[in-house]
Amino acid sequence: MRLVSFSLAALAGALAFTPRGGQGTPVPAHAASHSLVAARVELGRRLFYDADLSANGTMACATCHEQRHAFADGNATHPGVTDEPGLRNVPGLANVGRFARLTMADPAMTTLERQVETPLFGTHPVEMGMKGRAGEFARRLGGQACYKAMFARAFPAQRGRIDTGTVALALAAFERTITATRAPVDQGPLPPAAKAGKALFARHCAACHTGPDFTDFAYHRIDLTPDQAERGLMDATGREADRGALRTPSLRNVALTGPWWHDGSAPSLASAIARHHLGLAPGATAPLIAYLDAMTDPTLMTRADLAMPATACGQPL
Amino acid sequence: MHPPSHALLRLSASALATLLAPWAGLAMAQDMPATMPAPAPACAAEPAAPPPAFAAWSNATAMDAATDEPGLAMASLAPGEAEKLTLRPTPDVHYLLRPEKPGGTVSFGGMARLQVAKAGTYRVALGSGAWIDLLRAGKPLVSAAHGHGPACTGIRKIVDFALDAGDYVLQVAANGTPEVTVLVVPQD
Repeated sequence: MRLVSFSLAALAGALAFTPRGGQGTPVPAHAASHSLVAARVELGRRLFYDADLSANGTMACATCHEQRHAFADGNATHPGVTDEPGLRNVPGLANVGRFARLTMADPAMTTLERQVETPLFGTHPVEMGMKGRAGEFARRLGGQACYKAMFARAFPAQRGRIDTGTVALALAAFERTITATRAPVDQGPLPPAAKAGKALFARHCAACHTGPDFTDFAYHRIDLTPDQAERGLMDATGREADRGALRTPSLRNVALTGPWWHDGSAPSLASAIARHHLGLAPGATAPLIAYLDAMTDPTLMTRADLAMPATACGQPL
Repeated sequence: MHPPSHALLRLSASALATLLAPWAGLAMAQDMPATMPAPAPACAAEPAAPPPAFAAWSNATAMDAATDEPGLAMASLAPGEAEKLTLRPTPDVHYLLRPEKPGGTVSFGGMARLQVAKAGTYRVALGSGAWIDLLRAGKPLVSAAHGHGPACTGIRKIVDFALDAGDYVLQVAANGTPEVTVLVVPQD
């Protein structure tokens, strides 16, 4: 019964997030059945943990997006398959299915299906190293009977085709189930320290960290020095005025996604708060952190339906 | 690895993060330390000499890694002796315990015994960023620390474990090439 309830929760998440705000690619109407979505979520979960999506089989999505870290990484940055250092800190994935903008510096990246291509094929930096190797998906996965069956169930209209498009659709379907809506800030009660922090947060932070995921999805320059290497939004706009501007990060489960800051250079929440230069009164940081704690949905780290699958097609993996 | 217990979830999240830091950040995420990485130095074509504690690194001998439990009898590591392990394609490896990061079908892996005569902290140096699990009686150990190896020496990462005397199994998973050098040394 436990597994069934988790599966239903996952399915509910996928269905709830799929059509919202035009984000993601909606499941085609003729195929929008629960079983089809469930098949895509199941396939996407397996793919999320499968390192065969990387050039040399060493790196899966889950290599950087670890469940115990609220699907962030625990490192400042993470090198890719060629050992090229990561550019930015790995973000958590809680509620990404409803994010209006998905990355730190590209306003055009608004669908999970398209964002998948960045880690797979990106070269700035190389992450999973699959540029020029897209045909490998069909070769590696299509050679496994179970994967063939899973793709056939998830993509009947595409006749079970295995390619970048269906891989991305399945991954996105799974990512939409990575939901966090059961934090104390959602359901209460807030501990007394967090209540004090809530007032401080409203005064000092909520101008940018607003909405259900505590982000305005807008771009801001924070704590940058003139020689800052981070180009931020400037990469997309070409405007010098946008140099170093980065999208406000979500604060969902923020207490578990450290180290913090766009480059992972803040080793504690206290240091990350300090770098906002808010002019806080002495003693104000602790209640603010208590309120940030209250943004943690602990079920995200323990949900079995989000963990690496132990079986596929009834066989142990 | 086992998920955190529900008892832990009664703690505040930041307290939980603090508790998990030495467990999760160190034991699990073996790729980089949780601090800003130093820019990668330009290395000469020939590897630099490793620090004295890892001097044996330069004299690694070849050894086939085991692909199953019976094969462990022929694949033994000894502290202070470097081995260049020949790995096998991941689908051919029957790990004692499924690695937390198993590697794809095109990656390589293998196993080796490690015999420790004296309790202490031991440092496992690896020539790649592969995932390692150190098992005792079939259960994975929690590492004490991890980080990069000395620049330009060929030591890619080092993972520290506090070990009692006894037999262990080192599992190497998700390696990008069919060879990897391993050296286990006691910490000074």
